[in-house]
Amino acid sequence: MVHLTLIIEAIDLKKTYMLGKIPVEALRGVNLKVVSGDFLAILGPSGSGKSTLLNLIGALDKPTAGTLLIDGVDISKLSDNQLSHLRSRVGFVFQFFNLIPRFTARDNVELSLSIAGVGKTERKNRAEELLESVGLQDRITHKPAELSGGQQQRVAIARALANNPKFLLMDEPTGNIDSRTAREIMNLVKKLNEKHGVTIIMVTHDQNLAREAKRTVQMFDGIITADIENGEPK
Amino acid sequence: MRTRDVFSYSFSSIKLRKLRAGLTTLGVVIGIAAIVALLSITTGLQNTITVQLETGLATDTLIVSPGGGVFGGGQEGSHFGGGVIGGADSGFRLLINDTQIINDLSADILTSIATIQRSGYINSTDHERMTTIVGVEFEEYKSIYSTTFVSESDEIPDTPTNDTIIIGKRVKERQNGTVLFTAGEDVQIIWTNATARPPQNESYPGHVVAVLQEVGGFAFGGPSDNNIYIPIATAQEFFNTSECETIIVKLANSDQATIDAVSKAIVNEFAGEVSVISSTAVLNLLGSVFSIIELFLVGIAAISLLVAGIGIMNIMIVSLIERTREIGILKALGMKSRTVLAIFLGESVIIGVIGAIIGIALGWMLSNIVAAVLSSGAITIGPGAGAGASGDLLSIAPVLTPLVFLGAFGFGVGVSVVFALYPAWRASKLKPVEALRYE
Repeated sequence: MVHLTLIIEAIDLKKTYMLGKIPVEALRGVNLKVVSGDFLAILGPSGSGKSTLLNLIGALDKPTAGTLLIDGVDISKLSDNQLSHLRSRVGFVFQFFNLIPRFTARDNVELSLSIAGVGKTERKNRAEELLESVGLQDRITHKPAELSGGQQQRVAIARALANNPKFLLMDEPTGNIDSRTAREIMNLVKKLNEKHGVTIIMVTHDQNLAREAKRTVQMFDGIITADIENGEPK
Repeated sequence: MRTRDVFSYSFSSIKLRKLRAGLTTLGVVIGIAAIVALLSITTGLQNTITVQLETGLATDTLIVSPGGGVFGGGQEGSHFGGGVIGGADSGFRLLINDTQIINDLSADILTSIATIQRSGYINSTDHERMTTIVGVEFEEYKSIYSTTFVSESDEIPDTPTNDTIIIGKRVKERQNGTVLFTAGEDVQIIWTNATARPPQNESYPGHVVAVLQEVGGFAFGGPSDNNIYIPIATAQEFFNTSECETIIVKLANSDQATIDAVSKAIVNEFAGEVSVISSTAVLNLLGSVFSIIELFLVGIAAISLLVAGIGIMNIMIVSLIERTREIGILKALGMKSRTVLAIFLGESVIIGVIGAIIGIALGWMLSNIVAAVLSSGAITIGPGAGAGASGDLLSIAPVLTPLVFLGAFGFGVGVSVVFALYPAWRASKLKPVEALRYE
């Protein structure tokens, strides 16, 4: 049995947006614990707050109230620079890939390493290694426009893994690709979790995909309504 | 992120929009080229004129003329008195004999000579030309202006006869080579006596003994190509006067201290009714006039660079909006705000550096072209150019000093960076979540 450490802990987490002049409560008190090696799927209809929760965990945003501990550190107490540093240690995969169009697959993966201050030669080798590991060894010098949706998402995953992140956050990673490719992506993600022990938190509204995860969290209207691990409620 | 990587990122985003970046750079190029061209031409022009002046000037001489004010003096500061050139009409007149008073003022004064000047005509059977008739003591005038009061062929006599006339190069012949008067020719000197009633033309027969070598440029106090020279005694009798227009003072040395002391002594002696001009003061004045012209021209050119700067700002704000999502991605990947700032500033630095270098090269080329056009004689600038008299061709060698080079470079890059500060700051302040959501 691997020793499991608590890496994410949300305590009564709240987030309110201002939509024009109307406050929108995206999160209304979320409590969640994630341990290392977890593979968590967050399910819920659009507007349920799942993406907001993911953005908070990824340090892209700050909570309005409540506490969010990443590795035991309260992120609302972090400075702008510290948040940036934290983000460089988190792997983010987006629905719309978010690759830099003018960069090749390798340059996109290298960008993540370059931001972390990795030198040129090491960057190149590591990027090629990562692209190989997601099965894109013959697409290294292709630009995003020359790649299919599935291939682009693999580049994004390679990029997310570049800096050996604490955890991988995926926001509808298969939302923009066909179901067959989506299956391939899911297999890759599962492999990352099972073989390499990468902690994964994935937002989706696809029940079938969520079934691949070890644990599913159901969200509705800004709160967690169900938390099921290996078929058992937590 | 490493500095090199920041720059290479900046460069990659510039490369993406080549036309846009090219046009933005063009703004900087034009501004810098204008500044460099104007500065190097005015500096070159200033050098040319200074050199021309220095050949026509004796730095160890002072020119005393009626009219209050010390010009080029020392302790009291330099100020333009009433009519330094020509003299203000306070009724005071210098007398030819005043040279004796001046000679006794200081041991630093070697000698002084009076000059009488009138406008008149020189006339032969074939030609007539308007000229300035200058009466001087030949021997002393020769000793003061030993390099310019020199004949092109014949000797200038130390003890001239009453009808001796020395003519300037442009009196002898026009710029185009048409010969009007020659050495050895008998001529008439005509002067209109306006004090007689009724005013009448007076004339006397003279003999052209020698023609001066071409002096060129400006002759301040010294010999000019457009003048004719007659003995002071003849002038005194012909113009029926004992007054003189200027007294030229020859000093023992050209030290500023000597110039100041003697100038002050002369002004005091004549109770402030005279102006004393030193050639160094004229050079200094010319220098400051040039500085003002230069500042003015460069100011205009600088405005064009400011316009370029606004262009940079404008384009960067557009670019920032277009790249909002990209900035969101960079921030999501962990890029620090100050690195985002550096990337945007890096783009403007690259534009500024390229623009400044091309601008300096272009400006230098332009100034050389302008100088070549001026020297080729397509345009003539010079004293009396229009009068068909002298009109020296202006040969300007444009000067690009290291200071101008560095200044233009710094200014170009500086303007680019300053105007990019705001867009870059805005980019760095974008919130990652909002930037990522931007469509």
